[in-house]
Amino acid sequence: MNAVPEEDPLRVNLHRVYVWELPVRLAHWLLFFSIVILSATGYYIGNPFFGGGLAMARVREVHLYTSIVFALCVLARVYWAFAGNRYARWSDLIPASRDRLRSLWASLRFYAFLGREPDEYVGHNGLAGLTYAVIFCVYFLMIATGLALYQVYAPVGSPLHAFAFLIPLVDGLQMARLIHHIGMWAILVFAVAHVYFAVLSSTVEHVGIIDSILSGFKYMPRGRRRRI
Amino acid sequence: MAQTRLMQDLERQGISRRDFLAFCASMAALLGLPKAAAGAIAQAVETEKRPILVWLEFQDCAGNTESFLRSGHPTVAELLLDTISLNYHETLMVAAGEQAESALEDTVAKHKGEYVALVEGAIPGDIDSGYCTIGGRSALDIAREVCGSAAATVAVGTCATFGGLPAAHPNPTRALSVADAVPGVKNLINMSACPANAENIAALIVYYLTIKRWPPLDQYRRPLFAYGVSIHDGCERRAHFDSGQFVEAWGDEAHRHGYCLYQMGCKGPATSQNCPNVQWNGHTNWPIGCGHPCIGCAEPNFWDVMTPFYQRLPDVEGIDSSKWLDPVGLGLTGVVAAGAVAHGVGEVLRYRRGHRPPADDKTRTQGKEREADASDHEENPK
Repeated sequence: MNAVPEEDPLRVNLHRVYVWELPVRLAHWLLFFSIVILSATGYYIGNPFFGGGLAMARVREVHLYTSIVFALCVLARVYWAFAGNRYARWSDLIPASRDRLRSLWASLRFYAFLGREPDEYVGHNGLAGLTYAVIFCVYFLMIATGLALYQVYAPVGSPLHAFAFLIPLVDGLQMARLIHHIGMWAILVFAVAHVYFAVLSSTVEHVGIIDSILSGFKYMPRGRRRRI
Repeated sequence: MAQTRLMQDLERQGISRRDFLAFCASMAALLGLPKAAAGAIAQAVETEKRPILVWLEFQDCAGNTESFLRSGHPTVAELLLDTISLNYHETLMVAAGEQAESALEDTVAKHKGEYVALVEGAIPGDIDSGYCTIGGRSALDIAREVCGSAAATVAVGTCATFGGLPAAHPNPTRALSVADAVPGVKNLINMSACPANAENIAALIVYYLTIKRWPPLDQYRRPLFAYGVSIHDGCERRAHFDSGQFVEAWGDEAHRHGYCLYQMGCKGPATSQNCPNVQWNGHTNWPIGCGHPCIGCAEPNFWDVMTPFYQRLPDVEGIDSSKWLDPVGLGLTGVVAAGAVAHGVGEVLRYRRGHRPPADDKTRTQGKEREADASDHEENPK
């Protein structure tokens, strides 16, 4: 740190913090790509707007294989919420502590133009953490309804038939289909907001948030008396 | 070979031994048994002691009885009526009134734990309002007594299996399925569908006569031989589905070519039954075969969850989700995107008006003096 030239005032007081570990970044990008593919193929399955060849069969195939990647990523990320660093942990997602609740309130105030300063957190701010916790519940709903819909067509002897128990829980396959379809839009709405808030953070907080999901590092200003 | 009494009875009705063996072979095929099983079935049907059956009708349309009696395969019902001892069936029995009710009472008293009860129709749970009483007794009372003392109970049709039409929203009579109305009922077999396929009922009874136990069941207690495969997997139009060839409107070119009815609200993908193979009216045809989408009649709450029959998705509070879900979803995404842009504009304005001094620059220039406070930021915290 002392090697940084003193005469560069913009860099001298930045502190590099390793925030997003490799599993977090990997899960993030695999989720991103799988959601893009699953949404596109899922939309076609719900509303097949072209035909010919083996269109539906191939699209379903892509959807099913991609869903494996998606489900494993979600599970891996949940595991990492208990095994990862403090920024990946469940306690940074679910606003259970006073500090997290304060951050949730401060973030809401800032986004509503009521607070002047963005809440400063090295990891997720309180609102972001809560949103990710909610969107992971949507992911679980998608996985559950997806498994309920798939197990009907699983090959004979497949262990996935065990997921037949989910069907009565969601009041039949048609309701599973409806929930699965609504879930896609919920995730897409989230995605738009997510990208916007990332850009916003990057613009007003200057901590390199967009970079961080590739490199893992954020640049926090030194000398803030805030808990992180 | 000396003719059995059954064969004598059948021949009197013009059913030859060849017809009888053909029936046994078709039952073997339906049950997924090898061809050789036809012999065992023939022997069992001819020689086994006739099982005693009572057939109860509650909130129903007698459609299952009709389906059973008027099945295109005339031998099915006749054979079974000759093979079984049907002690009580309101639609079929000659006796009426007290005579009829005493036949039921006698059977329940004399053959306790031996007879098989077949139930058609839902059972009203609201007994105080007097829905569906027979001989002054509520359906619930009769069902609990008769099914409670039966060796096995077969719920015939979707009403008895899942509540069906009487239990559809708003369910004014609080109609119940047999499973819900008779807690702890023994050996319950559900034969859903509206109506239940006569050949499946015949196959169930033949299975019981031949193998002497009830067949393996699915999670809704339906026999796997009849409900083990989805309509979609067995459908003759499945190739059109896989190719993305769909009917878009009634009578369009695709409809006339027999393409997949998925876009017309076919519930085959959500329904399990052997319709594509066994078909109806003596293998004449079946709904999808004649260009009509499956309505999912064999599934729980089908009046509520499979409607609208000609839309892909169920309604939400009366709103056509097949039509509105995607536009609303896209609209919401657009609204959020527009909100993001508006919020971004707000941020720019806030910055320009100087309501918020560029905080980072301030700390970045003053930070040196406050460096001692930076202890919170650790490298690689865990």
